[in-house]
Amino acid sequence: MTLHISDGILEPGWIFFWYAISILFIALGLRIINKRIKADPVYLPRIALIGAVVFVISVWHIPVPVTGSSSHPVGTPLASIIIGPFAAVVISAIALFFQAFIAHGGLTTIGANTLSMGIAGAFGGYFVYRLLKNISPLWISAGMAGLVGSMLTYMTTALQLALSLNPGNVIYYWKLYSLGFIPTQLPLAFAEFAFTAYVVKYISETSSMKNIQSGCPLDRFTITALMLMVSIASIIAIGAYIGYPGGTNMAGTDSTVEAMAAPAASPGGIGVRLMSIFGEPLGFALAGITGGLFTGYFWSELRRKN
Amino acid sequence: MFEWLTTDPLNGIIITITFFISVIIGRYLRKKRAAHGSKGKLVDPRIKILFLFILIISITLMEHWYFPIGITVICTLFALKSKILQNFSRKMIFPVILAFFIVVIQGLTYGTNKIYYGIPLYAEGLDSGLLIFARVTAAASLAILLLSNTPENEITETMRWYRVPGTMLDISSLMSRYIKAFSAEAKKMKWAQESRGGFSKRSGFSDKMHDVASITGALITRALVRAELVYRAMLSRGWKHDRSFTSHQPLNHNDLLMGFVFTSGIMILLGIDRML
Repeated sequence: MTLHISDGILEPGWIFFWYAISILFIALGLRIINKRIKADPVYLPRIALIGAVVFVISVWHIPVPVTGSSSHPVGTPLASIIIGPFAAVVISAIALFFQAFIAHGGLTTIGANTLSMGIAGAFGGYFVYRLLKNISPLWISAGMAGLVGSMLTYMTTALQLALSLNPGNVIYYWKLYSLGFIPTQLPLAFAEFAFTAYVVKYISETSSMKNIQSGCPLDRFTITALMLMVSIASIIAIGAYIGYPGGTNMAGTDSTVEAMAAPAASPGGIGVRLMSIFGEPLGFALAGITGGLFTGYFWSELRRKN
Repeated sequence: MFEWLTTDPLNGIIITITFFISVIIGRYLRKKRAAHGSKGKLVDPRIKILFLFILIISITLMEHWYFPIGITVICTLFALKSKILQNFSRKMIFPVILAFFIVVIQGLTYGTNKIYYGIPLYAEGLDSGLLIFARVTAAASLAILLLSNTPENEITETMRWYRVPGTMLDISSLMSRYIKAFSAEAKKMKWAQESRGGFSKRSGFSDKMHDVASITGALITRALVRAELVYRAMLSRGWKHDRSFTSHQPLNHNDLLMGFVFTSGIMILLGIDRML
């Protein structure tokens, strides 16, 4: 199921806050749409019709791997690839309004759901698509857009729930809600990957769409790296999820890294100090970027030496 | 014999006033229903949307679980009476699942006082989770009941009265029209694909996804082609992007009275909840 927050969950303050942010993006989207309509009047029925298709497919069942069930795709990463992210925000707000009629989401939570599905999902997906478009085949970049868009949608929803329901301990509950969604949302994200990839590939083969352009083919190294990334990230997420009911307090790989990789780390060392200033996630991201850049840069030399 | 008449009159006055006001409202509702011949036209959609929004906000402000549960029970009884209970229950599934998920997370993690129901739970988390559960079911049941008998295009036109930008409404009205057309088209395409061996029970995830994606891709391609035709049809009907609508039906006095009664009722309910 797509993650729409229902009426009655969010506190009124947050209802209006998410509405305010979404209205800002919708206003920007409408401005862009109006400009494009002036230049090309067919743009209005085009986005409306694409919006209608996205609505139809977003309530359509797709098979979900692992769980053996079927669910609804988010659809906004696909829409953002076809009509652009700002127009996708407007379309998703309208779609959420219509979905409130069938009790998917709610009337007071349109702002929050637009933020998670329309803004985070569409912009995240579109950003990934643009990033990978020139270095990977079209279907990979579209598929990754679907995967990242879907995951960003549920992570934003988890954050919205944590902020409204547990304002005293937001980060902890954000992690907790995110982990709680994994059994349904992670397989759905992979289904979204396959769905978006197949649809964009189909359109690119049968239609001369301006927005969809073919990218360069991927080399073996990049494919292996991407596959390793997805596999390891999934194993870590699943491990932490399995560990939580066992009472490991969602430590995941944290304690293992601390015990094995840095047993003699000085508490006053630069790494520890940087982590205390910027927070652990940023510290780990910095370590990952440095290590990755170094490994990638010297990969040929390292292989030759071996 | 008449000693009851000489004591505190407050309760007697309250019951008399509330009874007669309810009689008047009941008669008005009956007349309105008979005049329109449809349950959907009972309340103006503009009032309905406003009432729903205020009521849901008020429900989220309630601190006692029994008021939202009471609203849910009343809505369920209405659904039963209107013979839409099956549809109503089906639509309630998603909100109830999400609410149940929140009850579990809150009950297992939030609070300090542990209680045992087979598994250790926190009393504060359970209380907060159950309150949220009650709010969600009340809000969802109200929304389902009020919105299920209002056509989408009517609501879209209502939004014009709320000064929603014209472009957004143009997109909404086109979308609502084509959602039905594309749903029917997608169904036909699926049947055609099934008759040619698609969506087979024996096919794996990849094949099934390929089948779904090819229908979606074909629909998007058709939508792009059809947009040009739709645009021409809009032009032939005198459409202009920068035109403005001014023909709003004014709210009549009865609708305004209804809105006032509804809003007052909500405020009284919220006030009682806060006082308890």
